Amino acid sequence: MQTSELLNNYDVDAGTWDEMYKDSAVREQYRAVVDFMQQLSVEELNKKEELARGLFMTQGITFTVYSSGEGIEKIFPFDIIPRIITASEWSYIEEGIKQRLKALNLFLKDVYNEQFIIKDGVIPAEMIYSCPHYLREMYKFPVPYDIYVHIAGIDLIRNSDGSFYILEDNLRTPSGVSYMLENREITKRLFPDLLPKNNVRTVNEYPNILHKNLVSLSPRQIANPTIVVLTPGIYNSAYFEHTTLARMMGVELVEGRDLVVDNHRVYMKTTAGRQLVDVIYRRVDDDFLDPLIFNPNSMLGVAGIMSAYRKGNVAVVNALGNGVADDKAIYAYVPAMIKYYLNEDPLLRNVPTYQLSKPEEKELVFSNMNKMVIKKTNESGGYGMLMGHSASDEEIYNYKQEILKNPRQFIAQPIISLSSSPCYMNGKLVPRRVDLRPYALCGPNGVEIVPGGLTRVALKKGSLVVNSSQGGGSKDTWVLSV
Amino acid sequence: MLSRVADSLYWMSRYLERADGILRMLKINYASSQGDLQEFSWKPVLRLFTYMKEEEANTIAYDSRAVLQYMVTDKENPNSLVNIVTHARENARAVQDHITKEVWQCLNDYYHAVRDERLAHRLHKEDPISTLDVLIKQGLLYYGTADITMARGEGYAFINIGKYLERALQSADILDVKFSDAHFDFSKIHTTYWKYLLLSFSGYELYLKTYKSGFDAKNVVGQIVLNKDFPRSVIYSINRLSRYFERLENQGNKPGYETVEFLIGKLKSEISYTTVDMIEDAGLHNYLIKVKKELSEVANALNKNYFAYS
Repeated sequence: MQTSELLNNYDVDAGTWDEMYKDSAVREQYRAVVDFMQQLSVEELNKKEELARGLFMTQGITFTVYSSGEGIEKIFPFDIIPRIITASEWSYIEEGIKQRLKALNLFLKDVYNEQFIIKDGVIPAEMIYSCPHYLREMYKFPVPYDIYVHIAGIDLIRNSDGSFYILEDNLRTPSGVSYMLENREITKRLFPDLLPKNNVRTVNEYPNILHKNLVSLSPRQIANPTIVVLTPGIYNSAYFEHTTLARMMGVELVEGRDLVVDNHRVYMKTTAGRQLVDVIYRRVDDDFLDPLIFNPNSMLGVAGIMSAYRKGNVAVVNALGNGVADDKAIYAYVPAMIKYYLNEDPLLRNVPTYQLSKPEEKELVFSNMNKMVIKKTNESGGYGMLMGHSASDEEIYNYKQEILKNPRQFIAQPIISLSSSPCYMNGKLVPRRVDLRPYALCGPNGVEIVPGGLTRVALKKGSLVVNSSQGGGSKDTWVLSV
Repeated sequence: MLSRVADSLYWMSRYLERADGILRMLKINYASSQGDLQEFSWKPVLRLFTYMKEEEANTIAYDSRAVLQYMVTDKENPNSLVNIVTHARENARAVQDHITKEVWQCLNDYYHAVRDERLAHRLHKEDPISTLDVLIKQGLLYYGTADITMARGEGYAFINIGKYLERALQSADILDVKFSDAHFDFSKIHTTYWKYLLLSFSGYELYLKTYKSGFDAKNVVGQIVLNKDFPRSVIYSINRLSRYFERLENQGNKPGYETVEFLIGKLKSEISYTTVDMIEDAGLHNYLIKVKKELSEVANALNKNYFAYS
C-alpha cells in the first residue's frame, strides 16, 4: 500500500479547515498516525474496522432499536482514525469552557434568586419567562455550593479559519461521555503502542472526578453516602452509558420504581428494606422527574422527589431548571453574561445568532434563508432543524409559517462550515465534518475538564449534521500533552 | 441490594439454567430418536416444554429437524432457546453494574450466537448434535465465568438460588417427559434412552460406578432424584438452593427469611427421607408433580418477600 493510495482521494472542500491537512501537507500532530496507517495494507485496515465492530458488539456497547416487536442491536458508528487536538488548542478550549461555565452557573443562581441581570437590563425579563424550561419551583431554593451545572457537555465547532466557536451549551443531562471512554479503550486495542508514542493524555479520571464531586454534595456528612444513578430504564438509547457510569463509580443504578419518598426523604427499595439515598445523578429529564409537580403521566420519575430536594434531604445532579441557561435563544446572551458577571471578554466565541422574535432580525433572516440554519430553541438532537442551503422552496415556505406562529421558539444562525477530519472508508482516507464535545465537571473546588471528549462526525459526504440520530458517528479524541 | 436487581439476577440465572436444560433435553431426545426401534415421537417434549396445541404438535411430532428448529431458533415460540437467552440477556442488561464485565460479555456472545442467522440452516442440514454442543458450551462458559469472577455477595446468592431452583424443576421435567409417554411404566422404556439421558447429564460414569447391575429404571430414577453426589439430581439442587438461601439470613429481612426458609426446609427434609421404593409406590409422575408444586411455592414466596418492588 503506497502513501499516495491512502491519501489520493483526500480532497478537502474549499473554504474548510481540515484537521489533518494544511496546504496539501499533513500537519505535525497527525504525522505519526498517518505514517502508522501507511504501513498497513487495506486488508489489515479493514480487519481493524471489523475488530472495532466486534468489540462493540461483545461488550454490548449498543443501543436497541425496537421494530415489529423485536429488538435490533445497533452500534453507534465508530471511525477508527482518531481526531487529534494539540496541547495549545486544548489549553485555549479548557480556559474558554471554564470561563463560560463559571458565568452560566452564576446566571442560574441569579435568575432563580435576585435576578440582577434582568433588573440591570442585560437580558429582557420576557426572554427568561417565556422559556419553558424556566422552573418557578426552583425560585429561591439554595442549591448546594451554588452549583447548578455539575456536568456540562459543551459543543464546539471550528470555522474555516480554524477558530473555535461554541455551538451549544448542554447543561441538562448531556450524554455521550461513555463513548469518550469506550472509544479510547477500542483505540488501545486497534493501534497497539500508538497512544503512548504520541503523548496522548488519558481520559480515565472522568468517573473518579465525577464520583468525588457527587460525594461532596451529600446532605449527610458521612464517609460513605448513598449515591445512585437514576436511569429511565433499559429502553432508553443511552442506557449503556448509565450502566457504564454506575459501574465505573461503583454506585447503584436505579429506576424510578426503585425509589420511594417518605416524609421528604428518598429511599431505595432493597431486599433488606428501605435505604436512604443521599445523592441522585439523574439521567431523567426535569419534566419526568416528579409526577406530582411536573408531567403527571410520568412513569420514569419518583413522586415527591421535588419536596425532598427542596428540603435539602437529597442532592440532585444536574440541578433542575438548567434548561433556561442552555435555551437556544438565551445562548445569544452568554457573551453578555460573561461580561456582566466576570467582567471578562469571552474566550470562546458564539456563533452569531438571530432572534426571530425581534422584527428586524426576522426580516434579515427571511431574506437570507438559504444561508441560514434555523433551530427550535427547545429541541436538541438535530430535530426540528432547517438547513437553508439544502431545503426546497416549499420546505422553506412551510417553515416560515411555523416561525410566524411562535417566533420566540426559533433562532437562526448563519451556516458555519464545520472543520473536516480524516475518516477511513473503503481503503481510503476521506474528509468528513466533525464537532467536539468535551465534558466539564463542576465541583466545590471548581471546574475540571478531562482532556478529551466526544468527536462526532457526519459520515455522509458534504453533510454538516453530526447528530447520531441523523446518521452521525464518533471518533476517539486525542489531546496531546506536548 | 435493590429488590429489582435481586429479581433480575435471579431471573437471568433461571433463564440460563433453563437454556442449558432445554439444550440437554433436545440432545438426549435427538440422539435417542436416531437409535429407536419404532418411529420416535416428540409429542411428550412438545407437551411439556412448549405451549403448542395438540393438533399443531401432531404435525411436527415425527419430524426431528422441525422440532429442533422450533425449540431453538423459532422466535414465535416463547420457550425457544433464542427467546430464553434473550430474556436472560435483557435481565443481565438491567443489572450490568452487579455482574462482572466478563459475565456480561459472555452473555452477549451467547446472545449473538443464538441469533446467528446460520443456526437454523445448521440445525436443518448439518449434524444437530454438533450445533447443540456449541450452544451448550456457551452456557458452560457462562457457569465458569460466573464462578470465577463474581463476588460472593448477596447477588451471587440470588444467582445460585435461581440456578438451583430452575435445575431442580428441569431435572424433574426431563425425567417426567419420557415417563408420561410410556404411561409411567418403568419397564416400557428402552435402555438406550437411559443411556442418553445419563450421558447428556454427564452422569453416565457415575451410574456405572454406583450401580453395577446394568440399566435398571429404578436405579436411574434413584440417581436423578436422590443421589446427593450427582450435580443434576433433584436432591442435590434442593440442598444447594437451601445452602445459598441460608446466606441471606443476616441480610436484614427476618420475617421474609423465615417464611421462605420454612418452605425450603420442609422440601429438603421430605426429599432427604424418601427412597426409590417410596417413589415407585407413589407413582413417579405424581411424586414429581408434588416436588414441582412445592418448588413453585418457594418461588412464589421469594417473589413476595424479596422481589416485590412495584
